[in-house]
Amino acid sequence: MKVDKTIVASAALHVLVIGWGLVSFSARSLEAPPEAMPIDIISSDQLAKMTAGLKTGEKDKPKPLAEKVAEAKPVDDAVGKITPKQEVLTSTAPQPPPKPEEKPVEKKPDPPKPVAEKPKEEPKPVEKKPDPPKVDPIAEALKSEEAKKPKPTPKPEAKAAPPQPPKPKQERTFDQSKIAALLDKRDPARQAIAGPTLNQTSSLGTHAGNADAIVATWKSAFVGAVRRCFSFPYNGQDSDQFEVDIDIQLRRDGTVASAPVIVAVRGPSRSVGVAMAESAKRAIEQCQAYAFLPKDQYDTWKYIPMTFGLKELL
Amino acid sequence: MTKARHVSRRGFMMATGMTFAALGSRSAWAQRLRIDPQEFQPLPIAIPNFVPGTGADGEVSAGVTQVITNNLKRSGLFAPIDPAAFIERITNIDQAPQFQSWKAINAQALVTGRVTRQGDGRLKGEFRLWEVASGQQLAGQQYVTSPEYWRRISHIISDQIYERLTGEKGYFDSRVVFVDETGAKERRVKRLAIMDQDGANVHYLTKGTDLVLTPRFSPSTQEITYMEFGQGDPRVYLYNIETGQREIVGNFPGMSFSPRFSPDGQRIIMSLQQGGNSNLFVMDLRSKSTTRLTDTPAIDTSPSYSPDGSRLCFESDRGGKPQIYVMPAQGGGAQRISFGEGSYSTPVWSPRGDFIAFTKQGGGEFAIGIMKTDGSGERILTSGFHNEGPTFAPNGRVVMFFRDIGPGPALFTIDVNGRNEQKVPTPGFASDPAWSPLLS
Repeated sequence: MKVDKTIVASAALHVLVIGWGLVSFSARSLEAPPEAMPIDIISSDQLAKMTAGLKTGEKDKPKPLAEKVAEAKPVDDAVGKITPKQEVLTSTAPQPPPKPEEKPVEKKPDPPKPVAEKPKEEPKPVEKKPDPPKVDPIAEALKSEEAKKPKPTPKPEAKAAPPQPPKPKQERTFDQSKIAALLDKRDPARQAIAGPTLNQTSSLGTHAGNADAIVATWKSAFVGAVRRCFSFPYNGQDSDQFEVDIDIQLRRDGTVASAPVIVAVRGPSRSVGVAMAESAKRAIEQCQAYAFLPKDQYDTWKYIPMTFGLKELL
Repeated sequence: MTKARHVSRRGFMMATGMTFAALGSRSAWAQRLRIDPQEFQPLPIAIPNFVPGTGADGEVSAGVTQVITNNLKRSGLFAPIDPAAFIERITNIDQAPQFQSWKAINAQALVTGRVTRQGDGRLKGEFRLWEVASGQQLAGQQYVTSPEYWRRISHIISDQIYERLTGEKGYFDSRVVFVDETGAKERRVKRLAIMDQDGANVHYLTKGTDLVLTPRFSPSTQEITYMEFGQGDPRVYLYNIETGQREIVGNFPGMSFSPRFSPDGQRIIMSLQQGGNSNLFVMDLRSKSTTRLTDTPAIDTSPSYSPDGSRLCFESDRGGKPQIYVMPAQGGGAQRISFGEGSYSTPVWSPRGDFIAFTKQGGGEFAIGIMKTDGSGERILTSGFHNEGPTFAPNGRVVMFFRDIGPGPALFTIDVNGRNEQKVPTPGFASDPAWSPLLS
């Protein structure tokens, strides 16, 4: 029996490679994380705010990129800028019916233009490929763009003549002289980044600038937790005038480290203010432990100054 | 040591107007975290049955507990927790409760108490108010009285709890005088009656042979002034609650009506009819001297003093429709303060001095409202077919009024925010309520 040496060599080589792969790509057991990771649910807006910046920018630029000086109402301006673009689009909007007709007849030499403007109409040129007579007018169309628009009649002809499909492929030849025609002539859609002063250097975003946004995710959770236990029994109409400042210190596990400290009491009645302060202290102690606070950010919440009010009671 | 330095440094920085931004790691907290309650929530409070001091005290201790629970619940500021949820059974109020078991049912405050009939026959009531979160005792008192006054002990304890947790005086240990109405509408018998603010302990002061209207409490709580239709013209009378004696106030020609005491209880202000008009007069109860306060060709009535006695508000139609006016207590310079649609009547100055309650008529409805003493901040508390006759609780936080939706009038309370409307239980129909000051 004759054995082909090449097959043997090939088989040996395969066995070698596969064997090496098995050794080198061996799976590792997954190790459980040391402790549960705190997870905050944030909205897409918050995420966008936290990740704002350019990847190619420099790290930690104190000044955010600003391409123009901010105006009074940037939001209103943004709306205004969008509407003029639509005016340009309106000139293209009515064209959809005629364009498919033009492409087979005249524009075949300029494939990019229809593609850039009307990607949806791609199927139509496929049907029109069969038009042999239109090949000649295309050459003429290359010379003058004006001639393209007036010819709307080719449709019946295109359907009638099915022959050479390869011709359109040749039309894809890139013509550098026509680059200008390929450009999007609409007004630029991009908005300039507005700021109080001009700064041409892009950045990854400021280091401290997003700190508040990150903190806000657990800050709101903390407010909600304390609020659940804060019920001060008061039915006066001047409730919005009462405020109590209280400072608390928390342990890493989210429990209150020491008795909350009443820093200030404001309001038309001292006795009511003091009772409200006690009620606020009760709420803080009643609702502990605040175990959801992110341990890796302990430095930001180990000390929390708070102000309790009664504005919502009215 | 470190903490003390920390606090003093912070106090200094606050005093000098600096911010926390300079405090290193605290820089993230340049702004204080603001916490407002999302909406009004009554305070959850646990009131387990008061422990009977002896085997015979079970009924009265349960009664005291029930009255306290009812008072706090009706105030709308507290939410007594259902006893069925209690985990710990209190058997000795001299031992600290197991706070974890009260925290588990979300109680923020806990009231424990004991009622004991002593050897001398008197009743002793004790209570302790606990803060569940910290385990601290917030208040603790004991009271001794005759057994028949067990309800007053309950009201006084209720006021103690209310004051300790809200910072304001309570209003539970008070009474209400009102006109009790019985019989068919066309032959309605009206009697003066007095009761505890929660509707219990009703006593009738008159027999119903004569029609009585607009009773008002004296600040001393021993006397009532009211208008009675006797054999002749309606007259203003003074009635001593303790002795049951009554006397006519002044001997004026024509009708006298709409009386009310001055804050010191020494004078009565009222309307005297003169032809088609009526004007305001004040009478000194000791010297019996009478002073005219208004002199207009209009109907001036329903006067009510400010708590400091320096001003008074009243109703007058001198501008066309009845409106509310304010003027100095000695008369002159009346200023109109009501300018809303419709007419305003029966103004009453709050014991706190901050608001004037009124009845407002317009659009086919009668509403009870309050406004500031300068006429601003008008707020309608309730409106409907017929609401009338507001009177303030001693702490000025609750208004009682009467409502007649057809068969006969009934008493209601509502707080000055327009929340927590409650019907006051009365034996029959009831109108014209007047709230007393605190009894203790």
